[in-house]
Amino acid sequence: MPLVTDDLMAPDVMTDPHSYYRQMRELDPVFFNERWGGWMLTGYDDVVQVLRDPDGFSSDRMRFLARELSEADRQRFAPIFDVLSQWIVFRDPPDHTRLRIVLNKAFTPKAVERYRPRVRAIVGDLLGEIEGKGRMDVVRDFAYLVPLTVILGLMGAPDLDRDLIKQWSEQLGVFFFLRADEPRRREIACEGVTSLVEYLTPIVEEKRAHPADDLLTALVAAQERGELSEQEVIATCVLLVFGGHETTMNLIANGTLALLRHPDHWERLKQQPALIESAVEELLRYDGPVKATVRWVKHDVTVGGKTLRDGDRALVVLSAANRDPQQFTDPDRLELTRSPNPHVAFAHGIHVCLGASLARMEAQEAFLGLTQRLPVPVVATDELEYHPAVVSRALKALPVEF
Amino acid sequence: MSTSQRLRITVDLNKCVGSTICVQLSPSVFALNDQRQSSVVDPTNDTAANILEAAEGCPLAAIVVQDAETGQVLFGAKDAAV
Repeated sequence: MPLVTDDLMAPDVMTDPHSYYRQMRELDPVFFNERWGGWMLTGYDDVVQVLRDPDGFSSDRMRFLARELSEADRQRFAPIFDVLSQWIVFRDPPDHTRLRIVLNKAFTPKAVERYRPRVRAIVGDLLGEIEGKGRMDVVRDFAYLVPLTVILGLMGAPDLDRDLIKQWSEQLGVFFFLRADEPRRREIACEGVTSLVEYLTPIVEEKRAHPADDLLTALVAAQERGELSEQEVIATCVLLVFGGHETTMNLIANGTLALLRHPDHWERLKQQPALIESAVEELLRYDGPVKATVRWVKHDVTVGGKTLRDGDRALVVLSAANRDPQQFTDPDRLELTRSPNPHVAFAHGIHVCLGASLARMEAQEAFLGLTQRLPVPVVATDELEYHPAVVSRALKALPVEF
Repeated sequence: MSTSQRLRITVDLNKCVGSTICVQLSPSVFALNDQRQSSVVDPTNDTAANILEAAEGCPLAAIVVQDAETGQVLFGAKDAAV
């Protein structure tokens, strides 16, 4: 009998992954999980080592998935392969490097700072509608609308239907976030990705005909310079709308929950908005939106004294690293002024989140707005439910009253 | 090509996560150390424009570029000039 369950989807693990991964780290920080079929890395130093080593660890998820599927299934799920195989997050150098250099310009800390007034206005408008109501679902009424409105604005497609995009993104996310409980997950993801491609393609063509000062035009221009392929342009559009809101939505929702469970922290942030930068870093560390990321071993490599073999896969548990007591003092404590705070919520190394600066800024504006405008809310349900997923930390809903 | 202006380039290793963006944008100035973090190998070995682009490209804003003579911060954290 293992001392700790090897079922990554167990209800307790979904509700409280932090306790689970703490036990796992204490038991064995480099653990081979037979049931999942791969290594689980839960110690800070090991996680950083792996994330900084793209020569030893591949991110090419679609290539490894293709090996597991029959030819018929590869055909059946072609829409997923066609799009996701082009995503920067699932590519290794040199393609990863080429894409990153093209995309990076729009997401540097300096570039992102220019969007702050727009984000502040979006947050203000939303809270203006919310504050008189006395209740909201933080996920539905606030957390998804902020980042999705922002990314559509940056892309130069502000009029797209946000509810449709959310619905299709959720379908795609069923695959992406390892929703192992859903037997039709690949079919559902195919529907989502096909809908997104069909919806976004004419928008890209529109930019080709009428260039503007926005991200989609920059992608089209990069294609015309020969830096991106046509498939990469459309796949990147799908990634931007999906990645541009899904994870930030969860950051805002998880952070709001953490703050309202610590009402003294909510009040403190209200009194001292200058704490917002370190507060957001701490909320990322404490209960970030991405619990884990997956890598595939490219050649035998030693991690924490064990040998990981060519072809093995590894679950790199970011949220466990973020609570490793060897790295963080009193790691289970929320401490808004924690410094230094070298969390790995955005991962590390060449795949460090492209949108990290944007997500930080959006979260800063969201939590500033919430704490300034609303009294400390209380959760208006007996039981909070998370989407059953290994990778993402995603509340289904967060109903609150205030 | 080398820069005529002498630059002082600093990488904050507490911030650097090894994205390698700077190494891609200015490979004769930046290289990875054995921790796979960025280090400055030769601050004179590229144009100031390229070096500033590399600093600005850092996702963690870990790079500070100063005029070596005056200490003036050309890019990066304002409190870096010490």
